[in-house]
Amino acid sequence: MTKFFKWGFLVLLALFFVVPLLAMARFAFQSVPVALLTGETWLKGWSIDPIITASTEPAMWSAARTSALLAVFTIILTLVLLLPLAIVTEIKAPRMRPWLTALTLLPWVVPPIALVVGVSVTFRTGAPWFLASVFSLVPFYALWAMPFTYRALDAGLQAINARTLYEAARSTGASFPTIIFRVILPNMRASIVAAAALTTALVLGEFAFASLLLKETLPTFMVNFQQSQARAGLALALTILILTALVIGIVVRTLRRRGLNVQTTGL
Amino acid sequence: MTLVVMRNVRKYFGESRALTDFSLTVNSGELVCLLGPSGCGKTTALRILAGFEKADAGTIEVDSESIGSVPVEKRNFGMVFQDYSLFPNMTARQNIEFGLKAQKVSATQRRTTIDRMLHITDLDDQADKFPHQMSGGQKQRVALARAIATSPRVLLLDEPLSALDAKVRESLREEIRHLQREVGVTTVFVTHDQQEALAIADRVGVMSNGQLEQIASPRDLYQNPQNSFVAKFIGSINRIPATSRTDGLWNVLDAILTGSRAGTELEHADAGIRPEDITVSATHQESANAIIEDSSFLGPITRVKLKLNGVTTVYADLMSINATPFIPGQPVLVGVRPDLENTIIFS
Repeated sequence: MTKFFKWGFLVLLALFFVVPLLAMARFAFQSVPVALLTGETWLKGWSIDPIITASTEPAMWSAARTSALLAVFTIILTLVLLLPLAIVTEIKAPRMRPWLTALTLLPWVVPPIALVVGVSVTFRTGAPWFLASVFSLVPFYALWAMPFTYRALDAGLQAINARTLYEAARSTGASFPTIIFRVILPNMRASIVAAAALTTALVLGEFAFASLLLKETLPTFMVNFQQSQARAGLALALTILILTALVIGIVVRTLRRRGLNVQTTGL
Repeated sequence: MTLVVMRNVRKYFGESRALTDFSLTVNSGELVCLLGPSGCGKTTALRILAGFEKADAGTIEVDSESIGSVPVEKRNFGMVFQDYSLFPNMTARQNIEFGLKAQKVSATQRRTTIDRMLHITDLDDQADKFPHQMSGGQKQRVALARAIATSPRVLLLDEPLSALDAKVRESLREEIRHLQREVGVTTVFVTHDQQEALAIADRVGVMSNGQLEQIASPRDLYQNPQNSFVAKFIGSINRIPATSRTDGLWNVLDAILTGSRAGTELEHADAGIRPEDITVSATHQESANAIIEDSSFLGPITRVKLKLNGVTTVYADLMSINATPFIPGQPVLVGVRPDLENTIIFS
């Protein structure tokens, strides 16, 4: 009986995610309207033209390039800021960990609109050039991704028992930089990749900041594009969704195959 | 050769006292075990010696040189932790090499040392394995090899066997002892397992509440505990009613013993007698002073539970061959082994 419920629940859960995606796919790639769908017509009218339409749109490629660059810069900024913070907290001030865990959640307490308004008012007077560039989004994204990236890194530190490794390395006479670069960081590869993957997923899907700051990223492009080309827009959204899932899946599998344990606890 | 002296070391964590006035001398080449229940301060003492914690007061000297303010990495101490703490990204060989590289040992010298370490820890065939490919015992041997590869002045072991299963634990503790003798390194070994401590230490320091209760050779500690805490903590001990005599000695059952303290006239107290020092003999109802309650067979010995004079529960460890005839309810005469001379008097 419990088995029945377990499977029933899993099926329901799968339907909850899969049915909308299937509906999306049908709308995007089949030209037959729902009202005319019958047993005879359901195989008719399928074509991949919508995705070709989308992919021949130059603005799409420029938006995609922008988003990819934003993802890369956000990852760099996030790691530069959070990696040393997480490591030093864990090995030097473990009592600060609960505080940091709570603190890194704060960006999600402030809604994007408040954040953008606050920041743009401040910068418009002092440094207007900052808001002009599309890369002014990078700090926002780094902040926005922080709850996830910090937790991914922290989970990695806990998993390798970083504090004891640090002590063991110190007792052999190693210097602080040696310990960080030869012991701690190499063992954090998996969690660094996990943090980067999460950041990428977040940047590729973020709409509010880009829209409020009037930047054309992949999500803002897609919203505009869908208004004129509904089917091509959905085809594009679906393709990006599948590609992102595939990339993350491949990354995780490669890491696992190399014996690295991908930690996503605390997420 | 290294002499370690810790003098009047005190350490507080906030309000709680981890160490109160802790003093310890470890002689050159000696293996001292710090033994005690959890929270007694033994690990804190080791971590202060290693340099991971700073003492609030007191001095720590190695070869008459104060090291209180020398950072961990400059002390040249080897350390082994309970959870192995091998570097997961390095093979056994690289783990051992890590400290040698940090100390700028030349490549040829490194290779010779590593090979020797792998050989004496019996890990020749594990050299290129990563920690996750090794068993717990092998990992701890690598950790040991890594700790002694740099020829440390002092070797510190923090419950190194606690994470291992019983069989491995026993064989590895002998290996540690053997290795420590061979290398001749002054060693402090922290454990909560008294068997482990008694089996391998030159001297055992029993700790409670942040203080050293007694430090002595395992045999001395067992046979002449200085206070009731040590007596109860090491092995098991019976509390048997005793009466003081006018000459300062004590009457315990059928024996006259010197006590850990002299009694005032006709004072009543409890004497601590080990189960193996109790004798049990079958007798008639009239001359019996105890009744057999239960007995459990433990292989070479049989532990017999008795009720002495209808009130005191006494355990006696008898050689199994002598214990077989006893059955529950049987009246017996309980005494003290004739050649026993001393006892501890509980106050």
